[in-house]
Amino acid sequence: MSRFFRGGDDSSSESSSDEEELYSGGEEEEKQSDVEDSSEEEEDDDEQESDEESSDDEGPAKKGANRFMVSDDESESDESDTEETHKVKSAKDKRFDELEATINSITNGQKNGDWSLISSEFDKLNRQAQKLIEGKNVPKIYIKAISELEDFMNETLAKQKVTPKKMNATQARGLNAVKQRIRKNNKDYQAQIDAFRADKDAFMESDEEEAKPAPKPAKVKFQDIALDEAQQAQEDDEGFSTVGRGGRTLQFTPESIFKHLRGILESRGRKNTDRMEQIKIMEKLFEVAVTPYQQLRVLLTLISARFDLGSGAATSMPLEHWKAAEKELALLLKVLETNKEYVVIENAEEWDDDEKPPTLGEGEKYIKVPGSIVSYVERLDDELTRSLQNIDPHTSEYIERLQDEGALYIIIFRGLLYYEMLKKDESLEILQESLNRIVARRLEHLYFKPAQVVKILEDNSWNAVGDKVDSTITPRGQSKDDAAHLINILATYLFANSEGIIRARAMLFQIYFLALHDEYYKARDMMLMSHLSEAISSFDVQTQILFNRTLVQVGLCAFRKGLVYDAQNTLQEICGSGRQKELLAQGVMIQRFHQVSPEQERLEKQRQLPFHMHINLELLECVYLTCSMLLEIPLLAQTGSSPDVKKRTISKTYRRMLEYHERQIFTGPPENTRDHVMQASKALAAGEWKKAIEYIHAIKIWELMPNTDSIKSMLAKQIQEEGLRTYLFTYAPFYDTLSVQTLSSMFELEPRKASAVVSKMISHEELSAALDQVTQTVIFRKGVELSRLQSLALTLSDKASNLIESNERTLEQRTQGSSNAFERQGGRGGRGGRGGGRGGRGGGARTGGNFPRQAGGTQFTGGALGAAVRG
Amino acid sequence: MADSAAAPATNGSTADYNLLPKLIKHLDRHLVFPLLEFTDSQLAQDEDGNVKDQEKAHEITRAKYELLKKTNMTDYVANLYCELNNLDESQKPAEYAERREKVLAQLEKYEEETSKIRELLGREDVVNNLRSDKVANLEFLKREHEVTPEMVDALYDYGNFQYSCGAYGAAADLLYQFRVLSTDNDKVSASTWGKLASEILTTNWEAALEEVQKVRELIDSKLFNNPLAQLQHRAWLIHWALFPLFNYDAAREPLLDLFFNAGFINTIQTACPWILRYLVAAVITGRSRARNSNAYQKQLKDIVRIVRQETYEYSDPVTEFVRALYIDFDFEEAQRQLAKAEEVLRSDFFLVSASDAFVDAARHLISESYCKIYTRIDIKDLSARLGLDPEQGEKWIVNLIRDTRLDAKIDSQEGTVIMNHPPNSVYQQVIERTKGGFFRTQVLNAAVAR
Repeated sequence: MSRFFRGGDDSSSESSSDEEELYSGGEEEEKQSDVEDSSEEEEDDDEQESDEESSDDEGPAKKGANRFMVSDDESESDESDTEETHKVKSAKDKRFDELEATINSITNGQKNGDWSLISSEFDKLNRQAQKLIEGKNVPKIYIKAISELEDFMNETLAKQKVTPKKMNATQARGLNAVKQRIRKNNKDYQAQIDAFRADKDAFMESDEEEAKPAPKPAKVKFQDIALDEAQQAQEDDEGFSTVGRGGRTLQFTPESIFKHLRGILESRGRKNTDRMEQIKIMEKLFEVAVTPYQQLRVLLTLISARFDLGSGAATSMPLEHWKAAEKELALLLKVLETNKEYVVIENAEEWDDDEKPPTLGEGEKYIKVPGSIVSYVERLDDELTRSLQNIDPHTSEYIERLQDEGALYIIIFRGLLYYEMLKKDESLEILQESLNRIVARRLEHLYFKPAQVVKILEDNSWNAVGDKVDSTITPRGQSKDDAAHLINILATYLFANSEGIIRARAMLFQIYFLALHDEYYKARDMMLMSHLSEAISSFDVQTQILFNRTLVQVGLCAFRKGLVYDAQNTLQEICGSGRQKELLAQGVMIQRFHQVSPEQERLEKQRQLPFHMHINLELLECVYLTCSMLLEIPLLAQTGSSPDVKKRTISKTYRRMLEYHERQIFTGPPENTRDHVMQASKALAAGEWKKAIEYIHAIKIWELMPNTDSIKSMLAKQIQEEGLRTYLFTYAPFYDTLSVQTLSSMFELEPRKASAVVSKMISHEELSAALDQVTQTVIFRKGVELSRLQSLALTLSDKASNLIESNERTLEQRTQGSSNAFERQGGRGGRGGRGGGRGGRGGGARTGGNFPRQAGGTQFTGGALGAAVRG
Repeated sequence: MADSAAAPATNGSTADYNLLPKLIKHLDRHLVFPLLEFTDSQLAQDEDGNVKDQEKAHEITRAKYELLKKTNMTDYVANLYCELNNLDESQKPAEYAERREKVLAQLEKYEEETSKIRELLGREDVVNNLRSDKVANLEFLKREHEVTPEMVDALYDYGNFQYSCGAYGAAADLLYQFRVLSTDNDKVSASTWGKLASEILTTNWEAALEEVQKVRELIDSKLFNNPLAQLQHRAWLIHWALFPLFNYDAAREPLLDLFFNAGFINTIQTACPWILRYLVAAVITGRSRARNSNAYQKQLKDIVRIVRQETYEYSDPVTEFVRALYIDFDFEEAQRQLAKAEEVLRSDFFLVSASDAFVDAARHLISESYCKIYTRIDIKDLSARLGLDPEQGEKWIVNLIRDTRLDAKIDSQEGTVIMNHPPNSVYQQVIERTKGGFFRTQVLNAAVAR
């Protein structure tokens, strides 16, 4: 968001204060150096002004009321004009009285240094004076008041520079507002003020002749009032008042462009401004604009005016305006490309003189025009996203809208080129941040797309810029053909040149892309080495969402690789929570238990990703459940046969679903993905692996995965193996011996593979059995099943030793390891039954194999990797 | 001094699993030399000086030449040059003679510069006055014997020069003396690296081991806030430590501890996974030597875990063997890989001496896990699996039973071994779990009471 796009929703003082913070740095500088009003300050003040108008109690309401009272008064008096002339007079006198009263309170304010009072009174004064001036006679006291006020203001400013003590915020704002308006206002009365200054008394006395009552008929005035105030303030600027009144009749000439622009700029953000009207004016202005400078100025104003249309929280910019803004932005970039001596940069000074355009000074390379291309680009991007959020994704409208992304990407690309060009010249002091922002935007449009799509985007944008241009960050030859390489270049650029959130995001973009393109190990290693899982909670919500998305994508990638365990582990955090929708910003959760404030809901809605970026949730659930099934069913079988093994659960969500499924009295044929997986689980648990495969293969959603067939065959293989394991766990107690041959034919595995699986189980002591090589059979040992008493005894002994251990640890902590009691114990314990494991604990051999446990939620195997980089 | 010599790895692909190019990047040029020498000797051995391999030998000589060109071992370099260009001894180019002169002159100069301080350090009374405080020492020497910091630095330069000339023993001494006196941290760490290299090259393993520990401490303490440099230094240290690891028995334990340290194992996984081969070999060959089998089991478990994690990044027959045996439980595959691994080991500089021990230990491992899983084994089959003939196989099994006190009997008539796996009795389990309890509680009690 940029301040250029301030719009009608000024009422939210929060956002504006936000911006003040953003720009306060620049403002302060300016205050110190007391430069002529640069655009920044002016606009800032505009905001403050309007801010005040709305937040202050005496704001627009009173103003409006006053107005009407006055005008009522007037019309009344007009009506009675013919009858009682003295009434007119008294009305006029009244106005004078009012004026004087106001001036008095201003003087009071000056004494107290109460600038907020002065500011509001000054507004009032101007309005009152306006009416009196209509007769061309400027009241003397008015001149006196404003010139004194100006003097006082200058004094205060000077004082402020000397003393570092700051005014409080309202005062400072009041001062600023007054400063702004005085400069504008006093210009008009410069002659009189000068006269006044030259000889105060003489001026006051020179002619005290009564100003005649305003001759204008009331009706005209009434119209006037309906007009925008700012335009009214401009009224003495010849040629513009007509725009306000008639509009069409006006002649647009290249010379008057700046005047119009100034008028429009000043009316920005006010109430009752007809933005469409202004846009139309500007479009016409652009047609007549001849010099590049004029074109630039008109375009800059025009684009921001268009963005104003889309402001407001919920609504998005109208389509045709978005398109127009896109065209104009492209035009702007084109103008800039062809006229290299003009640059649009953020830190340029406002050119105040409307009469003559700035020229290239001696020794200067550029004519600087204030503006921020990167903000425009970002805004354009945001607007597209917002409109995509609002369109129903299942309509053709969405697709049509989505096509604009191509154009947008070209704009981003050209913006990037433009900034690269600016960056080359050190003297311009382009902030690295602007470049980073635009690179990040580009990356944001690429990371979730398959390589082919990226290639198309890239080709289009290279074609759009023509043959001659080349990019320093992403040279033509390198980036065009290899999407992965391009992403790598962009991300690396951001790693090197940015920090904080942008850097983290760059990292996530790259990981996401890698995961999307089946580079599981690279993605995983990067994910681990980035240590993002530890820091992610301190980032903003958007980045957290991106992190979740990346995590999910890595999990899916692991699944495609057939790494069921890793996939389940990675997905657990997101899918196990049951809040996938929320965590991935792909839908708002329905809150059952507590009310959500509309504010929260609005924020939530703003965060939603447009549909084309979504990760298919059903597919995600399907993958997660399938993985959970493959891990949980053998585990259930294992723990089922021996009750004393600690109840481990891998996925609570899955368990709950399974229980629910089992409680059902009638189970019909599976309908949705979940049903399929549940039925498959049941079949697998019963040893009917073929049925399980059938169920799993019947899930339609696999079609969405690339290489559906290989995934299906991978799943079939996994199910075979897990089926064998489950079978052995479940039915081992009922067998004495079991031929490997039978097993392998039962599960259609090679005998070698089957015996490998059995060997593994025996070796890990999951199965108390042994193989007989001669007869190729599995021999199950008898008498391993424990009675209840026995298993309880085992549990008890376990608990006892745990107790001792925790006691020891507590003591060790208390004494900071200074008590060497356990060292002795470590050595002696070697004789004891449990000594082995604890032998190395006491002495210095602690370093031996204590690998740091992976922090954060992602429990990848190989988690230690990242620690190498950190040290 | 710690810079790695980027010598051109012109070594051809003698084997698919040759790690030389990878290793060279992490070694000092002087340390690379033995490796090249070894490759050279291997060629001679294999081919008996066949004409066909002339080219390769020539290539290696060239590599050696390139490697040492920048050092001060002028005589040897000159010889190599002659060999390369088929010149006679007498036709040595003049430039080498010139350089030789220069080197000698330089040597003399250094000799002179440092004579005083070396003499001082040789004197009993001076050395006795030295304390552990370096600054005080320097102060003392300055006061009593007019030693300036420049003189101390000269020691460093001299040591560096000696090393470059190939006089490693002298270099080690000089650097040691320098390190005692100098307060310049950078130079001290450089001299520690230099001393390590010198000790390695003079095959003074005990001292080398000490230096390894010193370097490790340096890395941990000096570079803790520079993760990248830490990673790099660790990688170097790991490579350098390979020399003592496979040449000095006593170094095995501490060095394996070092390698299994979290920081170093991470370094191996991130920067140089090929070290896994050496790590696996070291762990496996350590089987018979390991004093307590518990530590050995633990190392084995760790190495299996790491090998599994790194399969996607690095695999060679040695790691494949571990994988087949402990992850896939595919004994046939393990056997196949073992045969390949033996070949690889024989052509590896570090592992050539350990190859027999490795094969032996690997067989033990195979039979161990085989026996654990099977209850009745055909001797013929097992022998085949171990790559032995039945006669030998039977002997092997008898030895195995005797050594490891396996509960097994040979059924001679059927030609099988019958393993008896006693089920782990519940009573036994309970007893074991509660065995240490009383004692531990007592200790705890005593500790609390104190």
